[in-house]
Amino acid sequence: MIYLDYSATTPVSYDVLESYNKACKEFIGNPNSLHSLGVKSKKLIQEATKQISDLFNVLDSEIIYTSGATESNNMALIGVALANIKKGNHIIVSKLEHPSIYKICEYLETLGFEISYVNNDNEGLIDFDDLKRKIRPETILVSICAVNSEIGIRQPLKMIRQIIRKESTSCLLHSDMTQGLGKIPINFHDVDLASCSMHKIYGPKGIGILYKNSYVNICPLIYGSSKESTLRPGTPPVPLIASAAKSIRLAVQDLDRRETFIKRLNEKITKELKTYDGILINQTKYSIPHILNISLKNIKAETFIHAMEEYEIYLGTNTACASGEFSTSVMAIFNDKKRASSTIRISLSYLTTTDEINRFLSHFKTVYNKLNALVAN
Amino acid sequence: MQKMILIKYGELTTKKDNINLFLRTLQQNISKKLEQYNPQITYDKGRMFIKASEEKFTKIIEDLQEVFGIHEIIICYELNTIDLEQIENELLNILNNKSFQTFKVETKRSNKKINQTSIEISSKIGSFILKNKENCKVDVHTPEICIHLELRNTKSYIYFESIKGLGGYPVGTLGKGILMLSGGIDSPVAGFMTMKRGVKIEAVYFESPPHTSTEAKNKVISLAKILNKYNLDLKLHVIHFTEIQEAIYKEIPHEYLITIMRRMMYRITERIAKKANAKILINGESIGQVASQTLTSMRAINEVVQLPVIRPLACFDKLEIIELSKKIKTYDTSILPFEDCCTIFVPDHPIINPDPKLCEQYENLIPYEEMISTAINKHEIIKINNKEKNDYEDIL
Repeated sequence: MIYLDYSATTPVSYDVLESYNKACKEFIGNPNSLHSLGVKSKKLIQEATKQISDLFNVLDSEIIYTSGATESNNMALIGVALANIKKGNHIIVSKLEHPSIYKICEYLETLGFEISYVNNDNEGLIDFDDLKRKIRPETILVSICAVNSEIGIRQPLKMIRQIIRKESTSCLLHSDMTQGLGKIPINFHDVDLASCSMHKIYGPKGIGILYKNSYVNICPLIYGSSKESTLRPGTPPVPLIASAAKSIRLAVQDLDRRETFIKRLNEKITKELKTYDGILINQTKYSIPHILNISLKNIKAETFIHAMEEYEIYLGTNTACASGEFSTSVMAIFNDKKRASSTIRISLSYLTTTDEINRFLSHFKTVYNKLNALVAN
Repeated sequence: MQKMILIKYGELTTKKDNINLFLRTLQQNISKKLEQYNPQITYDKGRMFIKASEEKFTKIIEDLQEVFGIHEIIICYELNTIDLEQIENELLNILNNKSFQTFKVETKRSNKKINQTSIEISSKIGSFILKNKENCKVDVHTPEICIHLELRNTKSYIYFESIKGLGGYPVGTLGKGILMLSGGIDSPVAGFMTMKRGVKIEAVYFESPPHTSTEAKNKVISLAKILNKYNLDLKLHVIHFTEIQEAIYKEIPHEYLITIMRRMMYRITERIAKKANAKILINGESIGQVASQTLTSMRAINEVVQLPVIRPLACFDKLEIIELSKKIKTYDTSILPFEDCCTIFVPDHPIINPDPKLCEQYENLIPYEEMISTAINKHEIIKINNKEKNDYEDIL
């Protein structure tokens, strides 16, 4: 099997799974219980949170556990919107967001919020002038992802934050950092709120975090009783939280070395795919090497993916969460509907081997020639 | 030329006869503290020198700021020469990485065989810098950087700014004391202050399960871990106090609850002290703070022990104590809300002028000697070790 869909999800690492198992077996108490088993579980959560907050240099209380990035995005956008309803009803998002952001925006529109979409240049970078123009006194939030999930465009969040600050003192910045964590150095201090998901960094599915700076007020979306978190009440999932701490610790180490390695793999693939007439490489100078997006001129992406699957090679179309539709990100950058309608995402990991890439390229050639011949006929 | 860390001693240089004990202890404390960095430590009567890999200097300095007996911590350059011309050239290399507009040179010459005086050397070096570095001038009053030069027997040292150390005496040079450590704000501060004067401490904590919780005990362990930064290998004695406390509550008039309880705690602490060969008891009492800390109460409580009781905070206001506890970073842990021995079974009106004779009478209502012996025989000793693998390390 050659798995090249790491941006959709990653396999759980052995070490993280060990932690998960250990936490399930040895930390059986409810962290809300008073007795020593409860205290033991609570202590594990506290230690895990401390480890995470230390790694990001933020406060323990600024880390909120969620079920994943979609929930974190909901909590951030809807939470900020509801808490700031008196200040304004305007929210700005980019055209390169994960589909969950757009769905949340649609919902917020039904509540009377107004959504603006900030433009980007043809390299995918946020158009700073357009952002400035769109910020109004009633703008309460800007949401821009750290790394785009389809083409891997990386945004300069620090600069974006400075621009927002100049235009408005109260407007907050949220960033979906799901595709950034574990791939590039991320800094929570560049933003007010940030979403991350553990299954993208070799952790289990079902756990994510929301970073929320302590001065930001948000409205809870879920109500219940809990001593640990008023924003996300309920019994905390101890094993998932322990796994989250471990996944993050393992993910943020060795970033440079891993990136250099992945960049080499990316260059190898890009170099070869460029020789195909019917393939366009959807990459700009701001793309990170972990994500390689291509458009097939003549072949349907879905057909291609299934054909590759016969060789046990697994690729993504656009973001897994929007599969089947055309790629909004490719559209936003290349403004070419045809190009956006048949995209394939090859996403790489430090676990990928050179041998896998060689085999992938050889099968790619076979499949491509076969399908292209069919279309030509 | 080698970059290294230089340590200046504080008050201990005034100790003439036992200076060797002081320096040896300081060196031991520092090597223990810096163990993980594999430092090479040498010393003489004026200075201590620490050589280690340069990228670890920031961490090392952070750690040295938790060692008593250090007056100043300085990053310095060691030159294997006392020849002024060679020194000037090396100095110029060092200064190339620094930008400044005003400077002054201060020279110390412990090698009196050099025939120029310190002032002459300073002015010679100063004019050399003026000639060789652009855009700078001398300012002897408020210079941007002060270039210190020390000339010793065969070596010379160049350094710039110094970082203040904790001062005090090296922990262990003045024997041992037993700290009565509750989970509150005062006692950790009292422990810190006693350590500052060179006293190695062990701590005693009284627990009363089920009235006090595991969380309360964990809180005390956390506090002990903070104190352990200054006093490596701290021992925490945990005394199971439930039976004694319940007996007091059942048999003794409630206004005397606190007084008698404190007398029991003093007795137990003294027994622990004698076993541990400690010379003093230490606690966080402050005159008048609560009913058991009035002068009359202190006297009635104190009379059950023979060892001196040191109360470093006796004359401090609560706000001053809080400020100190924030400084030594015990405050946030101290204010965690768990019941401790002193907050359960609190009478509505504790007596503020207890009569020692009545205390004795009441105490005799319970077989306290026996109970104390039992408590001491089965007490738990926790060896605090910050380097010890945290229980959660594997899993996280």
